[in-house]
Amino acid sequence: MKLLLNIFKKVRPIFEDDGKLGAAKPLYEAIENFCFAPSTTTLVAPFARDPLDVKRYMSMVIIALAPCLLASLYFFGWRMAAMIIVSYVAGGIVEVAFAMIRKEPIAEGFLVTGMIFPLILPPTLPLWMVAVGVMFGVFAGKELFGGTGRNVFNPAIVGRCFLALAYPSAMSSSWIQAGHGLSGRLLEYVSSANAAVHDAVSTATPLVNAKSGDFVETSHLVLGGVSGSLGETSGLMIICGGLFLVFSRVANWRTVVGILFSSFVLASILQFNDPERFAPAIWHIFAGGLLFGAFFMATDPVSSPITNAGKWVYGILIGIITILIRNFTGYVEGMMFAILLGNIFAPIIDEIVFKISIGRLKSEG
Amino acid sequence: MKSRGGYNILLAGKPDPHVIVMPMPEKLYLPLKSQRFAFTDICVSHGEQINKGDILAKDPDNFEVPLLAPLSGTIDLNSVEGHIVLENTGTLYEHKEDHAGITNKDRQHIAEEMGEGGSKRLKLLSLGAWQFFRDAHNTCELPDPLGTPQAIIVSTLALEPFLARGDVQLQNRMLQFTRGLEQLQSLLEYQPIYLILPKVASNFADRVRKHIRGYAWAKIIEIPLKYSLNHPSILARNIGLKISDGPVWSIRTEGVLAVDRALTLEKPCTVRIVSVAGPGVTSPTHIKAMAGYPIEALKKMCVGNEPVRMIKGGMLTGKTIGDDELGLETECFGVTVLKEHTEREFLGFMRPGSDRKSYAPCFLSTFRKKFREALDTAIYGEGRPCISCNFCEEVCPAGIMPHLIHKYLYSDLIEEVDQARVDLCVQCGLCSFVCPSKIELRQQFSDALGQIAEEKEQIRLEEIRQQKLREEQEQRKLENRQEKS
Repeated sequence: MKLLLNIFKKVRPIFEDDGKLGAAKPLYEAIENFCFAPSTTTLVAPFARDPLDVKRYMSMVIIALAPCLLASLYFFGWRMAAMIIVSYVAGGIVEVAFAMIRKEPIAEGFLVTGMIFPLILPPTLPLWMVAVGVMFGVFAGKELFGGTGRNVFNPAIVGRCFLALAYPSAMSSSWIQAGHGLSGRLLEYVSSANAAVHDAVSTATPLVNAKSGDFVETSHLVLGGVSGSLGETSGLMIICGGLFLVFSRVANWRTVVGILFSSFVLASILQFNDPERFAPAIWHIFAGGLLFGAFFMATDPVSSPITNAGKWVYGILIGIITILIRNFTGYVEGMMFAILLGNIFAPIIDEIVFKISIGRLKSEG
Repeated sequence: MKSRGGYNILLAGKPDPHVIVMPMPEKLYLPLKSQRFAFTDICVSHGEQINKGDILAKDPDNFEVPLLAPLSGTIDLNSVEGHIVLENTGTLYEHKEDHAGITNKDRQHIAEEMGEGGSKRLKLLSLGAWQFFRDAHNTCELPDPLGTPQAIIVSTLALEPFLARGDVQLQNRMLQFTRGLEQLQSLLEYQPIYLILPKVASNFADRVRKHIRGYAWAKIIEIPLKYSLNHPSILARNIGLKISDGPVWSIRTEGVLAVDRALTLEKPCTVRIVSVAGPGVTSPTHIKAMAGYPIEALKKMCVGNEPVRMIKGGMLTGKTIGDDELGLETECFGVTVLKEHTEREFLGFMRPGSDRKSYAPCFLSTFRKKFREALDTAIYGEGRPCISCNFCEEVCPAGIMPHLIHKYLYSDLIEEVDQARVDLCVQCGLCSFVCPSKIELRQQFSDALGQIAEEKEQIRLEEIRQQKLREEQEQRKLENRQEKS
């Protein structure tokens, strides 16, 4: 380790502001601080600090995604690895470029975006589309607003929304049948070109079939052996990772409970009125991206409301909108638009909560 | 009593309940500045021989709070800047008449003028017990010794790591404590004394309760052991004592003991129990020492060879003891020692962290039993923009929204900052402690408070100026009219 530290020491002057590669300083710093925690010490009270930093905070999301990654590897083959690498590289270029222009350090939030984005895409989507999507997402969803911490929208959702609108045919036809059996598709690389070879016929997702009144059994949805986006099919795995995230308090439980509770209640009411037309509430919870969105995307602290009261409202809003879009519009999946709408409302919800809190504080002291 | 926020930081190096009596030092270095006071009015001359309890200097801005000589000795004013050095300590000199700076004649005069209460208060002031009092609504201020409070809050708790604890100070001194409470009560008419005890079953609390049974004026309030719910401002707010109903005095265990010593024994209060603790100390403990005790001697006693940072006061709110400070300041009740952080950890953020604990359970240590963590001066990570995790609001005992105030400050919206009640901040430092983005919230808020106070002062001065102008104009008009008529 000392050797590596010495190399960093030697190379550092090149990346200083007056060095040859001064412009790449943010990139160099990110790499150095990734390998070695900085030795900065406190200057003002409090003199010791909590060991949790943003790197660790964001790493928790990556760890929580591990079960979903394993599930997607099993169900859809190792092409998902290629999609993740493309997503990281393409998005990373935008992130680094903006850090260099702004002369600001590279923020860790991208580590999460780069990982989540491929997981909400259809399994055989062309790799160049993955690259375009993540670049647009990071650029328009985050950098335009001023970078991590200032973005209004979840960048991964913005990227997916862009792809859904720009390439609707690819986005709605790149589904394949999930693998099954002992090895699943663990050893297969299934792209749109060789799908037929692998017996991976293009299959509509459960939500598409539901539009024509054909409901997959809920147990399939729970285990994940259905068609769908890479990371969203296995409800069980999402819940495992999601509970870990909620327990570590990186994801706020209020948002998750808000979404699940409101969608469950609304779906129950609908099904009670017309059991023929509407799917059972538990089916809706496990179908499509609702669980994945509730645990991993709506809980993004930056684009959701800050206040706890706001998180309840936000969660309930997203749950209701999702079920409404799924059942009463031409779109099959409502989670993406629901979260986007939630993101739009988040600052307003916060503003209202702030007003109330400040009003309460007025008479204090 | 309702309470909100708070977080108990379990830091390694909790001081032992035993009290070590420190050897008498040859020299004392008495700093002329302390947290609240600046002793600019020096009452002794170079080379003068003084006795224990004599007044060395006074703070003219704070009701002439005295700096008392903890020991007898010879004054050296020139050798160390900002300090009064006391040499040849322990030598007894001829007793002088104007002991403690007040002659008997003065005393009689005061007693006649103001009654017994007044002379008691004066005794508190001149014997060094008054500096233990704080204004609960503004803890940086010394309350007016001749004023009448709406209540007195007596806290036996020291929740910040680490300050001298109430239960340690009260070992074998319960009698003095209850006597001190009675003395306090005699300063009041009907106003209550709130006695703050821990909300856990403990021998200490039981003993206190037993001793004050039958005191109708003492109201016991139990609070959970969460830092900083024992902060005087937070207590006053949670009890429901409004600032508009008059001042609230707050005092801690050592203060009650000092009141007893000054009023019952009529002796100066100079010796105190100080904690020397923290992860940087080899054997953390409480010591019995006096103001001006040489820092060097403390360092020798308890710190190894490693580089450390010594802090006067607690870990979250204290101040670094600079190289130019040679002795314990008069308001210091704890010295916290942290190891200086120098190492760079390889892949630091990926470590499982079985020895590391954080506010959000993001380390492996979550599955361990509660333990005390050996934190050093590391910031752990880089400064980042706020990620809106809301941890700061959750821990804030004052119920304000640190993240919101931070955002307002970032956009320079000072008026909104004022509306968001940054003035309710008690500077407990919890928000800065838990912030994963490592934002210096505490520092920012204290800067903002200064800025707001400055702007308000300017507005006030401007208003006075306008008023004067208006008056002058009216005066002129009047004069003109008179001339015309």
